[in-house]
Amino acid sequence: MSGPVLRVRDLITTFGQGAQALCAVDGVSFDVGPGEVLGLVGESGSGKSVTLRSLLRLLPAGGHVAGRVEWQGRDVLAMSEAELRGVRGGQISMIFQEPMTALNPVLPVRVQIEENLRAHTDLDGRGRRARSRELMDLVGIPDAGRRLDEYPHQFSGGMRQRVMIAIALASDPKLLLADEPTTALDVTIQDQILHLILDLRDALAMSVVFVTHDLGVVSATCDRMAVMYAGRIVEEGAVRDVFAGPRHAYTRGLLGSIPQAGAERSMLLSIEGTPPGLAAIPPGCAFNPRCDFATEICRAVRPDLAEMAPVHRAACHNAEAVAAAGSPVRSALADG
Amino acid sequence: MVEALLSAEDVSKDFAFPRSVVDLLRRRHVTAVHALNGVSLDVRRGETLGIVGESGCGKSTLARCLVRLHDCDRGRVVFDGTDIATLRGAARRRFNARVQMIFQDPYSSLNPRMSVRQILSEALRVHRMRPAGEIDGRIAELLEMVRLPADAADRHPHAFSGGQRQRIGIARALAVEPEVLVADELVSALDVSVQAQVVNLLLELQDRLDLTIVFVAHDLRLVRHISHRVAVMYLGKVVEVAPTEALFTDPRHPYTQALLAAAPEIDPGRRSRRAGARGELPSPIDLPPGCLFHTRCPHAFDRCPRDVPELGPRGPGHAAACHLDAPAPRP
Amino acid sequence: MSHIPRRALSLPRPLLLGGAILLASTLVAAFPGAVAPYDPLAMDYVNLLAPPSAAHPFGTDNFGRDVLSRVLHAYTIDMQIALFATLFPFVFGTLVGAVVGYVGGTPEAVFGRVVDAVITFPFLVLVIAIVSVLGPGLGNMYIAIGVVGWVFYARIVAAEVKVQTRLDYADAGRAMGYTHARIVFRHLLPNAITPAVVYWMTDMALAILLGSSLGYLGLGAQPPAAEWGVQIADGKNFMATAWWISVFPGIAIVITGLGFSLLGDGLAEVLRGRR
Repeated sequence: MSGPVLRVRDLITTFGQGAQALCAVDGVSFDVGPGEVLGLVGESGSGKSVTLRSLLRLLPAGGHVAGRVEWQGRDVLAMSEAELRGVRGGQISMIFQEPMTALNPVLPVRVQIEENLRAHTDLDGRGRRARSRELMDLVGIPDAGRRLDEYPHQFSGGMRQRVMIAIALASDPKLLLADEPTTALDVTIQDQILHLILDLRDALAMSVVFVTHDLGVVSATCDRMAVMYAGRIVEEGAVRDVFAGPRHAYTRGLLGSIPQAGAERSMLLSIEGTPPGLAAIPPGCAFNPRCDFATEICRAVRPDLAEMAPVHRAACHNAEAVAAAGSPVRSALADG
Repeated sequence: MVEALLSAEDVSKDFAFPRSVVDLLRRRHVTAVHALNGVSLDVRRGETLGIVGESGCGKSTLARCLVRLHDCDRGRVVFDGTDIATLRGAARRRFNARVQMIFQDPYSSLNPRMSVRQILSEALRVHRMRPAGEIDGRIAELLEMVRLPADAADRHPHAFSGGQRQRIGIARALAVEPEVLVADELVSALDVSVQAQVVNLLLELQDRLDLTIVFVAHDLRLVRHISHRVAVMYLGKVVEVAPTEALFTDPRHPYTQALLAAAPEIDPGRRSRRAGARGELPSPIDLPPGCLFHTRCPHAFDRCPRDVPELGPRGPGHAAACHLDAPAPRP
Repeated sequence: MSHIPRRALSLPRPLLLGGAILLASTLVAAFPGAVAPYDPLAMDYVNLLAPPSAAHPFGTDNFGRDVLSRVLHAYTIDMQIALFATLFPFVFGTLVGAVVGYVGGTPEAVFGRVVDAVITFPFLVLVIAIVSVLGPGLGNMYIAIGVVGWVFYARIVAAEVKVQTRLDYADAGRAMGYTHARIVFRHLLPNAITPAVVYWMTDMALAILLGSSLGYLGLGAQPPAAEWGVQIADGKNFMATAWWISVFPGIAIVITGLGFSLLGDGLAEVLRGRR
């Protein structure tokens, strides 16, 4: 296996200036391997979406990114605007949660796909037309020839998401950044889109970074996962390993919050309290006020990510105790 | 058979589009979204009935018909032996107190200009639940019941997180000491860890107060966890209703099967690489003839686009509306 | 959390400035005799059309009346106009708007046509037409403005109430079995009234302009009463030789109007921030 296609090191994203600056992403590092689907999981305010946007420096005014984002050996954060434009929507594409606002409502779909083809390929007009049709077929939109001339509002939610994926694929990207792409969709449509993304990953040899709050989606689609809390990665590992044996109390709590078959009408293993706001992140381990495993050291010292097992890292002082408590997810893996 | 406390009997509800002058002149027919198309469903005393379905299936409309936020166009809703459409004045207010609703959006369901104390004392005063002197004590009790600190009473909704606001919504509903709670997507706007807190609270309150709960949600796992019985809705109809265990282990309607197959498996060991359902929801304006699901059904045959299937028995308390008795779920 | 109280203390600057101007204006309007050096109607035939001087800082008019005293005494009438010409439209329009926005359906459709009918005519022309039927004078002017003016408030409130009605807390009120009146006036209106209050402030400024215009045309306050529009009309024949007769009342109109506008802006900021 070759090295990672994307290496992120010590990514720090802040908003605002001076003493009022809020740190949304606080020293995040991860790799994405070729053809790998990495899930970035967290609740609202965990910094997962900001992390994703920081990779392409797509931040609202006042946002500032530091650290290194190495894409094919080059630091995206150090690139000039012109170089960055070549990468954005080119080798790295992005899809969003709400396709209705991410698509331009007054342009037919064809124009929006061809626009991306014009920016990132050498195709002529005829070639672009043919290619946009191919892309619509590729993402599973029936009757592609006719639907190319329709406007975004004429598509259903699921079909709009397919259109957005078609636009993202126009430049033949090597990395797809997906920001909660199925959150606004119904479960049967979500299922279709998730399978589409996986099929495309296989067919086009893409890597995918998938931001979501839904552990079911992670379980069903991702190879590896990184759990974020209050702007930091608290646990990272292969999806199977993390689900089978979480090493961070927060991950364990999240897994326990999900109702499972066979335990109907029992109390869920909930996490008390609410995630902290950016302006009031507790000292020590940010999770300590909500943590059942918290000890003295958790309130004083912020834990760093440490290797717990091969390719399984967690930032928890009491990882042993959490591991000993076991996973709340009953797994077919463990049974068989 | 356990008595039904609240039941929908063949309830239909359309939402007509406004017609312009041009439409009137051209004598165009009224176009309408057919939100409910003959729903019959019983809610039994003390149970939790889950109602699941995707957006546009009519589950929220049904919830609103059950508490009479909407009047139904055809059919009726019966509570404790009385058609609720006939209730007037004091009787109607009494019904509103006995059947309460909790809303989905924690940010819009509380009046932003009223403090928690004002919100709760209004409910207590209007329904004369307590004499004036006992209202403050009752408010403290209610806050304790939903696990909010006592000093929450004098703050306004914006000072609370989403999960806390849902607790305030629950406290407001409980203030009038209802028998039935209709919860419309109660936790879907909340973070996962907070969802679990609210679900636990609901389970605990149900035991403590003998509540009957109608739990409307799109999240199958949640509905399975909390419900005694589950009804699955598709395009304004109940396609299957059964005790929870039977519905999830032995679904008899192809749509239920598709829905279950599509829900992402929480166990990474059971990952599937096939999509659960094909196609998309037909327009609720022009409904397909016959069985509403035939356009997406893998088992559809010539009878399906012709005949409307009725809910038929499939086991104890288990009914499905399909021309096939036991369509084989796809692997 | 420490930034919230600080924000509450530091009120927006327009609010403070506008408030200060209007407070001063109201005091002058209430006690014009306390600040005005002369009787506004006292004529001094020795000093006709005298330019500004130490004895008459704003000069005198063609009857030898002190312009400063007349400008100050005019506050009484003009601040009254600002209030009385807008109070009825504000109250009545808000009530109608709240009901129409909540009920919807046919009343809303009918109201929509009324709005169309009213805004098709230029407001000033409509008011002038009504006053000329009823006869000139302040009382009839209030009636004329009231007949037309409530429509604008009603339109603003109806739109806002309609938005609020769609929010869940309105449905929650219905599900609690609250009466429609309680839902509209206790729940929806407090959340919907902000734009109408802000508009009210602007409208008071406009009412002063309108009152002055009607005074100028001889349809509002009647001479010899001290009113800025009347004063400007009085001075129009002397613009070339005695500009001070018209210019100082004009400045008073500008400052008072500015006060209302600033207050409106500031109020909008505060009320919206509180949501």
